[in-house]
Amino acid sequence: MEKIEFFDANVFIGRPHNGMFGAVNNSEGLLEEMDKQGISRAIVWHIFQYEGSPVEGNRILAEEISKSDRFYGCWTILPPQTQEIITEDFFKQMKENKIVCLNVFPDWHRFVMDAVTFGDFFQQISERNIPLFLTMGRSCISWDSLYRLMRDFPRLTCVLCDIGIWGVDRYTWPLLEKFENFYLESSQLSLEEGGVEATVKRFGSERIIFGTGFPVRYPKASILQLVHADISQQDKINIASKNLERILKKEKL
Amino acid sequence: MNSLWEKFLENGRVKECPVYDMHAHMGSFNRIYLPFGDFNPEITKSRLERAGIKMLIFCSHWTLFSPDIGNRANIEVVRQLPDKLRAYCGLNPNYPEIIEKDVEDFEKYRDVFVGFKLLSDYHQKPVSHENYSPAWKYADKKGLIVLLHTWGGSQFDGPEQVRIVAEKYPGAKILMGHSCHGAWDETIQLMKDFPNVYAELCAVVDDRGGLEQIMDACGSKQIVFGTDWPWFNHHYYIGAVIDSGISDQDAHNIFHRNAEKLLEGLI
Repeated sequence: MEKIEFFDANVFIGRPHNGMFGAVNNSEGLLEEMDKQGISRAIVWHIFQYEGSPVEGNRILAEEISKSDRFYGCWTILPPQTQEIITEDFFKQMKENKIVCLNVFPDWHRFVMDAVTFGDFFQQISERNIPLFLTMGRSCISWDSLYRLMRDFPRLTCVLCDIGIWGVDRYTWPLLEKFENFYLESSQLSLEEGGVEATVKRFGSERIIFGTGFPVRYPKASILQLVHADISQQDKINIASKNLERILKKEKL
Repeated sequence: MNSLWEKFLENGRVKECPVYDMHAHMGSFNRIYLPFGDFNPEITKSRLERAGIKMLIFCSHWTLFSPDIGNRANIEVVRQLPDKLRAYCGLNPNYPEIIEKDVEDFEKYRDVFVGFKLLSDYHQKPVSHENYSPAWKYADKKGLIVLLHTWGGSQFDGPEQVRIVAEKYPGAKILMGHSCHGAWDETIQLMKDFPNVYAELCAVVDDRGGLEQIMDACGSKQIVFGTDWPWFNHHYYIGAVIDSGISDQDAHNIFHRNAEKLLEGLI
């Protein structure tokens, strides 16, 4: 039986300005935690991308993830119009810095995430299969704005992270049903009793991406849930790493 | 490293470490889809056994949100799976006449109930409200468990309210459901001040840090495990508790020993 390898899609480094239990301030600290948890690879972002400066946070992240082959990066984007982050050679910069996906915090960074702001750019990342990671966890987007985004860019590869403590199947299942490149990150889906099993039964295991939510959440929580979920071993392997590998292989930078 | 981790990871359950879920529910619910909300004795038993849950103590959503259904929902469910389930007699202070009747009838259902459940944030009356007093007095006298929904900052079931009932009813075994979530300093003080007050971990271990703070200050002897099942997954919470870095002995206390003491004479 093939062993389950864990590829964590939801981790940040850096210490939040208001403090956080167990946050790690550099890649060495994160590697130590990953070894402790049996996690082989991770897509990482830096909390300063959200809390401080997306520009400087992206730079710090690139520096930190360059220290290990086990890391891939997630850069934060801002509206292309201000050219703070999205410049002419943006995709080249992503490739050179091992950045494989993007995230966005519209309400916190004060812009509107729609076709007016991101029309051409979101068309480009849809065509290039570059995943956009969104979080429901930092008061950054509403369900309405997420639905609008997916209606406007139905081919967009979108990974919804930190889906919430209360089960959100009534919100997410219509999106899974309508948009084939829409995925759920697992760190809070695993919290829901039967959430992973019910989603797999309805949509297949290909639509869930493993994440721990470290350092906010406990990695062993989502690991233990997935290992003992009432789904097949192949489904577990898909969720733990294969789905994310498949998404990244399709990417054209 | 906690030695129980490898065993839970390997088998999903550990024979020498049974788990008591002291905070659970039953039944479908209006505001979220619960894949295992509908009670089915075989399926419920199977879900509990996957994670080595020896006993689950619940109060039905339908009891808490419908005075017309009341505790019938609890009685019917427990009697279909008595080796795995017990219930809290649900109290709604907006219907004091039902509380009086439920307390009067409590002895008839000793095979079902181990105590009472208060959901004051939702019922909008503080846990010290006089409408609850027949149940509090009864729990105090009989040494019953009283599971409170508690939340930091709440005027209905925050730390100040817990203090009032803990002082007044020292014979009751008070479980702070969600451990006055977020108000960890006050939770710790309550545990230090009152030996009959326990922290319960549902929602506490959604994020790292709260359990570690409580453990550092109070140790593990006044902490019980709970999940709001069928809301939250047993393996998820078991993994979270172990990942907090606790010792094997502390894990045994939290997962079963403290609950076994609380339930002594009640099941």
